[in-house]
Amino acid sequence: MPKSQPYRNNNNAPRKRQLQLDEQNPVVQAFRNYASELDGKHDRHERILKLSRDITIESKRIIFFLHSIDSRKQNKSKVLEEAKHRLNKLIEVNFRAIAQELREQDVYQFRAAYSPGLQEFIEAYTYMEYLSSEEKDGEDSKLISSWSDLQSIMQYADDSKKSEEDAADSADPIGCKFQFFVDPTEYILGVSDLTGELMRRCINSLGSGDTETCMETCKALQQFYTGYISLNCQRARELWRKITTMRQSMLKAENVCYNVKVRGGEAAKCANFDHKPAEDADEGFSMY
Amino acid sequence: MSHFVNMEVFSNYQKYIDNEQEIRENIRIVVREIEHLAKDATIQLQIIHSDLSKINSACSLARQQIEACAEKYKKLADLVPPGQYYRYSDHWTYITQRLIFLSALVIYLEAGFLVTRETAAEMLGLKIKHSDGFHLDIEDYLLGILLLASELSRFATNSVTMGDYERPLHISHFIGDLNTGFRLLNMKNDGLRKRFDALKYDVKKIEEVVYDVSIRGLSNPPESKDQQKAEPVE
Repeated sequence: MPKSQPYRNNNNAPRKRQLQLDEQNPVVQAFRNYASELDGKHDRHERILKLSRDITIESKRIIFFLHSIDSRKQNKSKVLEEAKHRLNKLIEVNFRAIAQELREQDVYQFRAAYSPGLQEFIEAYTYMEYLSSEEKDGEDSKLISSWSDLQSIMQYADDSKKSEEDAADSADPIGCKFQFFVDPTEYILGVSDLTGELMRRCINSLGSGDTETCMETCKALQQFYTGYISLNCQRARELWRKITTMRQSMLKAENVCYNVKVRGGEAAKCANFDHKPAEDADEGFSMY
Repeated sequence: MSHFVNMEVFSNYQKYIDNEQEIRENIRIVVREIEHLAKDATIQLQIIHSDLSKINSACSLARQQIEACAEKYKKLADLVPPGQYYRYSDHWTYITQRLIFLSALVIYLEAGFLVTRETAAEMLGLKIKHSDGFHLDIEDYLLGILLLASELSRFATNSVTMGDYERPLHISHFIGDLNTGFRLLNMKNDGLRKRFDALKYDVKKIEEVVYDVSIRGLSNPPESKDQQKAEPVE
């Protein structure tokens, strides 16, 4: 049986009975109120869930897109540009919509609804940041955004004053400013997923012969791992699970680096070989 | 080499969760106190299953405990930072449901009607709307009421044992209303729904008691027999 079946059945049952319902009955009256309150809550939850799902999908696509960066193709700045643009769009549109839903609400009540999207977004966003920090390596390369940095970019102002959203809840006096609350725990969980992407980048770079990137991502992974195991928290099963995965990723990356070191020469040759088909596609035009 | 990882993030997060842990520990202490009081009230109310004459005194004793809980809830409200009710609510949802059940039982025994959410919240010193502060979550209220249904089905059986044949009819009526009420709710596939699905067994149990009583002519008022015929709530 599909899950929605009982829901629908339940929906129909009272309708049939409504004819014989004693509307004067205080219990019936009270439960009518409870019903509308519950519906409101469930609906809001559903709406946030939908928005969150869109964020998840788009974030996953952005991550995939960011993996198409290839030192051989020289497409990095272009890809980063577009990814940045798409991430900003998520902030401006989707997160804004969730923030709108959560206005005047207890943000923790609907956490389960938006948490997957937020985590995936943080993963994508920080990965984008990581890749751009590679770029201007050396000088004042940027640190990963902390949750308060993210918080500060998820501030919104109500431009359409007294729009239809306001009708839904509250005519708040301050009115025009709101934010999407970035929960530090969600942030930490999201960043822990970033390490999986770093591992992938490490391995992909080996494929394209970019051994320097291998070493760098591995180093970043190790630092993240150190940071994560330094955390001391009980009752965080989800985090614990993620740290275990992170350890696996780190081991893989370390293995890659080991191979680069040991068979460095062979790998480089391999890379050169790898290079050729791409150049050939240029009809040998740019052969040094 | 890598200037990307910011170790400060981790130490900040550690501070953040340490702070959260501390709040949780304080909450746990108060919740434990509430649990003690609730347990006392539960024990006092057990007497209704063996001695009908002591119902009133049991109710007033239980009321005292519930009132004492209201004090504790005030303490709890001070511990929880504003706007973070649901961050910590897992600590008290269970006990709040128990207390709603106890209040509802007391009110039913004293007055014979279903406690409204407003009254129940007031008895525990809670607000009704989340925007007003530390409040009674609607699902906690409803789950508490469902606990009442099970207790009343037991009470119906026992009151017959103790020779009170009228009571089951009243209980049956009451639970019938309750069942109708719950059918008005659109439920998701969640805990409330699961618990609601068990309500029909309570209804069934009580109807069996009513059936047993009426088929043997143990209860006499003809009026209530009519009602009972119109009542099948399955």
